[in-house]
Amino acid sequence: MKPHKKTTISQKMLFFISLAAIIAISGISDTATAAEKVNYRLKWLFNTSVVGDLYADVHQFFAKQDLKVAVKEGGPERDAIRELEMGRAQFGVASADQVIRALSKGAQVVVIAQLFQINPLQWMYRTDKMTINSLADLKGQTLGVTFGGNDEAILRTLLAKASLTEKDVDLFSVRYDYTPFLQKKVNFWPVYRNSQAVFLGAKLRQAGESFDFFIPGDYGVRFVANSVVTSKKMLDTKPETVRKFTVALLQGWQASMNVANNDTAIKTLQKYDKDSTVETLQEQLDITRGLIHPDPNVPIGMIDMAAWKQTEQIMLTQKLIPAPVSVEKVLRPIPKY
Amino acid sequence: MIIESQNISLKYPNSPNYVLKDLSFKLTEPGFNALFGPSGVGKTSLAKILTGEIHNYYGQINFNGMETCLYSYNLERLPGWSSVSRHLEKVTPDGRHELREELIDIFGIGECINQRFSQLSLGQQNRVNLLRYLLQDFHLLIMDESLANVDELTREKILLRIKNMFPETHFLYISHNVVEVSKFCKTIVVLRDINRQPQTCLVQGQDAKLDREIDKSKLDTTMLEIVNASS
Amino acid sequence: MLLHRRIYQFFIIYCLAVACLFLIKFGLNLSDYVIPGPMDVWHTGIREFTRYFSDVMDTLMVAVIGQVISIFMALLVGITGRRATWFGSFIKVAAYNVQAYPIVAIAPIIFILLGDGIVTRLIIAAMICYFPVLLSVLGIMSEPVNDIEHFYRATGRMRWQLEVKIRAFENLNKLTTVIAGSATLAVAGTIVAEFIAANAGIGYSIRIALYQSDLAKILTALFLIGITLSLYQGVLELTGYLIKKGWATRV
Repeated sequence: MKPHKKTTISQKMLFFISLAAIIAISGISDTATAAEKVNYRLKWLFNTSVVGDLYADVHQFFAKQDLKVAVKEGGPERDAIRELEMGRAQFGVASADQVIRALSKGAQVVVIAQLFQINPLQWMYRTDKMTINSLADLKGQTLGVTFGGNDEAILRTLLAKASLTEKDVDLFSVRYDYTPFLQKKVNFWPVYRNSQAVFLGAKLRQAGESFDFFIPGDYGVRFVANSVVTSKKMLDTKPETVRKFTVALLQGWQASMNVANNDTAIKTLQKYDKDSTVETLQEQLDITRGLIHPDPNVPIGMIDMAAWKQTEQIMLTQKLIPAPVSVEKVLRPIPKY
Repeated sequence: MIIESQNISLKYPNSPNYVLKDLSFKLTEPGFNALFGPSGVGKTSLAKILTGEIHNYYGQINFNGMETCLYSYNLERLPGWSSVSRHLEKVTPDGRHELREELIDIFGIGECINQRFSQLSLGQQNRVNLLRYLLQDFHLLIMDESLANVDELTREKILLRIKNMFPETHFLYISHNVVEVSKFCKTIVVLRDINRQPQTCLVQGQDAKLDREIDKSKLDTTMLEIVNASS
Repeated sequence: MLLHRRIYQFFIIYCLAVACLFLIKFGLNLSDYVIPGPMDVWHTGIREFTRYFSDVMDTLMVAVIGQVISIFMALLVGITGRRATWFGSFIKVAAYNVQAYPIVAIAPIIFILLGDGIVTRLIIAAMICYFPVLLSVLGIMSEPVNDIEHFYRATGRMRWQLEVKIRAFENLNKLTTVIAGSATLAVAGTIVAEFIAANAGIGYSIRIALYQSDLAKILTALFLIGITLSLYQGVLELTGYLIKKGWATRV
């Protein structure tokens, strides 16, 4: 009976070991095959400014990192940071002023990459109507500004730098409608360099008008634009997911900015932006390259700490936040990709 | 002045049934005549045909010498933005102010004349409404339940006085009250069910007047005739 | 509805809504960025009260003028279009069709043509509340009040002014409700106009607050809009009541 009992025990053990092994294997294979699902809320509608995000999605950069990312269109009523907190998105794109405001209100948000190294928000001006060689040249001019928008903060900083007050210039309230600029009521108009400026530039060229761009960075004002954010909770609980997402996203951006992939990038854009012509998309893409990757020695996504600090300082000076937030504490270095 | 209707037929649009069919009658004498019949028999429709408010009927109506026919009914209201006296004043033709005052007295509405129409009782409202019609120019006045909700004594007084004041005018009194029409009306046009031909039947009433007592047995006979004609 | 009842009803609704927000905030442990805290809302309210109040008054002024224009236009067209004539039915069809277009779709055209000044705000406010008022006026004016009108028609006394007066008087409650209701539309229209393209008014301030992701400012603006609108609607209803009372007590 004894040997028989022994056999029974060993059989049982074998059964449990096999069962455990099956469970373990199936568990491993589960982790290996089921990609993690995350939502990524963009700042704005699908256009050239989000080409890298779309590229990473369409060309499987996320999939290669075992991530299933739902890239969601943004818009004026969308706020990625709020969605992070509400748990509806795990990653998002937010402007620097949004991040600083959120920090000021106690939101637990971290910046994991900075997409635009140069802020696309610039001013377009007619060169036959005004010459700008220094900030002092703004004196006495009618300047278009979106009250409440980033451009207001930037312009006020520039004016302060030039020791100009609001009385020295004529501020014109800008809306969605470009008519005042096209009608030459205002000759200094805020635009997104890689989107609206392309349409407006084409119109001005058609009318035989000459124009140029006023770039705040040229005068030392580096107000940070769109950056990739996640919640502190996400970073603390799932650092690996955050790393994989950032790597995939920046690889996508890098590939989309590579001139060798130009046609693929345009085709990717065409899938989402059906209204723009190839020529427009091409022009927008060319400009975007200069804004995302202006310096070949600086990797795409690099967080410009100094620019962030300056952005915070501008907001503090203009009382857009009541107290310092030490934004540098939420800026995370980008991983190698 | 004669009112003569010949073979009047009426069918409302989208309705398969006739309201009136080959209806004929003739009223030759002015005074107080009546249109009597059960509810839904077509009295109001006939009244509106006579006053020209309904046009799409078949047959012929002859108004010999009568130009103005008015139709008054018991649901009419006066606008609510000013008092009854003010409204009456506005609709009184020149030279009839004395008549108005006399009628106000007869109708017993002197006390409520300065109130809004909506503040009056139903009986007072009907009296006010009838009064303003009596002030107008007309050859024929159709009174469709115009004295409804007025107590019997007052109604009797009003009817007798109207008859006295307007002896040469045609009145067509629409009422369900068999005693009343028998007593006060000269000729009673009894309107019968659509399936009965002829649809009308004329009965002579007692035509009571201020200065003439009526014979009670004759009144009973008239009432009987009306009931027989309409049943 | 009496004036004070309107105001305390608004207070109840507003407080309930804000309490709900705070419940969500504390229930889900959300930061002040997502939903501002009670003290933040309170301080913002105190800080921005004067500025926002003057903005709301600016908006209200435009809305009131817009509404007066729209009521005047609606009465004019409604009275002209009340008859069952070709023109009358044309006016009705046109009114129904134009109402089908959302004003936000038409607004940009108006902005391009007229710029972003007060005229644009006025026109949009008037357009938004014009059609509902017109439809009501058309409905009221084309419906005869036979029991009153019959006498005047039968005796040849009916004039168009009397007809309009009778129908307006008989439907004064309906008209007052529509006009008070259209006040909401006029204010909402003005705010939309200001939000899209204007340099003044509470809609413009809300847009800036949205740019700044400042929900506390928006809650303050909503409070002031709500209370002002309640007061305005109450005043309109009271005016309607006084007109009716004045009409009904005149000897």
